[in-house]
Amino acid sequence: MNEKTPHRRPATFKLDDPGVVVMDSDETGHLARGTVRITPESDPSLLPVPIDMPLVPVRRGFRWGTLFWVAVGGLVLLGTGLGIVNLIEDLFARNESLGFVGLGLAMAATLALTVVIAREAFGLARLATIEKLHLRAAEVLLSDDRESSRAIVVDLVKLAHQNPQLARARAALAGHADDIIDGADMIKLAERELMTPLDQEARRLVSSAAQRVSIVTAVSPRALIDVLFVFVASLRMIRQLALLYGGRPGTLGMVRLMRHVIGHLAITGGMAASDSLIQQMLGHGIAAKLSQRLGEGVLNGLLTARLGLAAIDVTRPLPFTALPRPALADLAKDLLRKKDDEG
Amino acid sequence: MAPSFQDIVEEARLSARALLDYGEGFFNPTVRLGVTGLSRAGKTVFITALIHGLTRGGRFPVFEPYASGRIAKARLTPQPDDAVPRFAYEEHVRTLIEQRRWPSSTVDISELRLVIDYQRQNGADRTLTIDIVDYPGEWLLDLPLLSKSYEQWSAESLALSREGPRVKLAAPWHAHLATLSAEGREDEQAALSTAKLFTDYLRACRDDRFAMSLLPPGRFLMPGNMAGTPALTFAPLDVATDGTAPDGSLWAMMKRRYEAYKDVVVRPFFRDHFSRLDRQIVLVDALSAFNAGPEALYDLEAALSGILDCFRIGRSTLLSNLFRPRIDRILFAATKADHLHHSSHDRLEAVLRRAVAKAADRAEVAGAAIDVVALSAVRATREATVTRGRDKLPSILGTPAPGEIANGETFDGETEVATFPGDLPADPAELFNGGFRGLSSASSEKADFRFLRFRPPLLEHESGKEPTLPHIRLDRALQFLIGDRLQ
Repeated sequence: MNEKTPHRRPATFKLDDPGVVVMDSDETGHLARGTVRITPESDPSLLPVPIDMPLVPVRRGFRWGTLFWVAVGGLVLLGTGLGIVNLIEDLFARNESLGFVGLGLAMAATLALTVVIAREAFGLARLATIEKLHLRAAEVLLSDDRESSRAIVVDLVKLAHQNPQLARARAALAGHADDIIDGADMIKLAERELMTPLDQEARRLVSSAAQRVSIVTAVSPRALIDVLFVFVASLRMIRQLALLYGGRPGTLGMVRLMRHVIGHLAITGGMAASDSLIQQMLGHGIAAKLSQRLGEGVLNGLLTARLGLAAIDVTRPLPFTALPRPALADLAKDLLRKKDDEG
Repeated sequence: MAPSFQDIVEEARLSARALLDYGEGFFNPTVRLGVTGLSRAGKTVFITALIHGLTRGGRFPVFEPYASGRIAKARLTPQPDDAVPRFAYEEHVRTLIEQRRWPSSTVDISELRLVIDYQRQNGADRTLTIDIVDYPGEWLLDLPLLSKSYEQWSAESLALSREGPRVKLAAPWHAHLATLSAEGREDEQAALSTAKLFTDYLRACRDDRFAMSLLPPGRFLMPGNMAGTPALTFAPLDVATDGTAPDGSLWAMMKRRYEAYKDVVVRPFFRDHFSRLDRQIVLVDALSAFNAGPEALYDLEAALSGILDCFRIGRSTLLSNLFRPRIDRILFAATKADHLHHSSHDRLEAVLRRAVAKAADRAEVAGAAIDVVALSAVRATREATVTRGRDKLPSILGTPAPGEIANGETFDGETEVATFPGDLPADPAELFNGGFRGLSSASSEKADFRFLRFRPPLLEHESGKEPTLPHIRLDRALQFLIGDRLQ
């Protein structure tokens, strides 16, 4: 037993003893000397972490859509290839030097295509790794398994290797590798070490995107420009978030991410709406009283922020446990405050 | 010991049975869940709570198939064996909820079959059958005997009875043993009296003050319908481990009966209920060992490791499934976790991890998945903080069972108390080094731990429906044990 906590002896108190007072924690009353005070605690049956909704709905059955697109893609590729071969043959038939130029161009195009495909595939694989990491971490938080928590931390450190800002955090985490820490606690430790700076950055990214959207909406002359701008700004934000948390999405990766973000938004949107509706209506209402455009600006900004929150959930390699999940209220505060600063 | 002819026959029998089961399991997937635990570890309560929770809709947030709603229904169906009594589930539930008493100690084997209708994650409808067996925990102590000869067992039992607090309890038996001559002529009266004294000694060791666990043979304590048969009328003699018994001697008679005991009692029990398990939960009541003292804790450790050696543990393969089923997931559970504040649960888990370290390592090497959890199948207490002067004690509130004693006061089963059972050390090695005092060596005021026994909780009936039983981490245990079979 260490010095800090000497062994305390067992003790039993009868509740109907005159020297014993039962009171709730929020009651404060002065007690006579020598009185024992008992404070019942809230029911810890809620202690185990409730399971998060799965980020990505589980796939069921055979993916016919994918097969269709793969087959069509293959056919298009074959057709294009055939066309190019014919073209080069024609070129050779007309003039030999023209033929060589054509062949060179075709080879360059093939090379570039290969590299682009490889990069897309790499980006997709990386996104899949992050998603899987997220699921595994969520599992370990429940099962408290020490071995798999170690494996997850190793993978996380590998993923974070490209981010130079995390050098110190990575070293600190490596120092804990040999300590005896339970599985769930290890994940929480990793989250605190690695994700704190990233979460701050992510929050800044989302609030700046939301802010930009709200300003542009407030001043833009046409609705079409609003819509385009919101779309571009959202894409940019999701891409930046993915890059921040270690993903490197290409075009296909972005499509996939976008689908997951919107899917996630559809699941969590309902919950978020209920807890922030009042505040949102308040903000919107007051702003709209001042100016209709300003009101629309605030609304669009909040929507972008909500999209950003969903994107954080999807791109972050660990679930939120040790650190608080950023709430819409924080971002809304950022949005209004910055507006005030500028206005 | 080289495998005897009998062992080989036994193996062949087990393999044939496994093959048959595999064929059945093809059409009707079945999980044989082994609920293992010494007596008073809480097997009956665990099984009752598990069935009640699944069939009546308990709160299981961590048990994924249940929480996500994929389990449509769980129902009880007739068991496969016609010769085994049915587990008296309804009666146990009534005892727990209406009379607020724990089920009395199990005296005979019983069985129940639970069928879960669920939908797989890809949408297909499936059923999973879970076979659960309840039995007196004492019988489990017999399993290690299967690999021991009479002489080995005698030597070990005698050595054990000369250690620690057992010496005093074994004194009458030792005195009688000294008058016996192993090589002398066989004598039924001598056998009867020595068996009786030996049984008395085993029974005395079980008292709460000592809480010894390693007390084979188990049927001596819980004879069931075998009471008084020759197979239960033997005792250890002071004989050489490598000697042979002369014909017609007391020694030869005892040896014959010991072998008969193994044949008639132990082998069928093992064959019918333990040789074919898929999943196992090992329930351990560490708290009564803390109450009693370091000797009880060592005893518990030795008993557990002896028992766990008997199981076939390891990764399941197609071949092993066909001929020699293995247990591929073991959960070690420290029961009665509701008798401690939840901030101490990690420490309780650490103690259990230390106690089963050998068995757990072996299981991991063999490829089985293991986990350790502090659980309470039926939660009898609430938590509270007691402020006494400057101290803040993390305590629990509950109604102690009638007859429990603390501070020299006997409770009537109606008074509610707050109790702080004593701090568990952060490092479990301190407990295993014998650094604490229990009831076996100190008076109840001096003991370092005092875990009271509480009555089951008072539950409110909501609009005529049977209330659900509160629990601690029962859902996590289920998720680990059968969650993967319900994917």
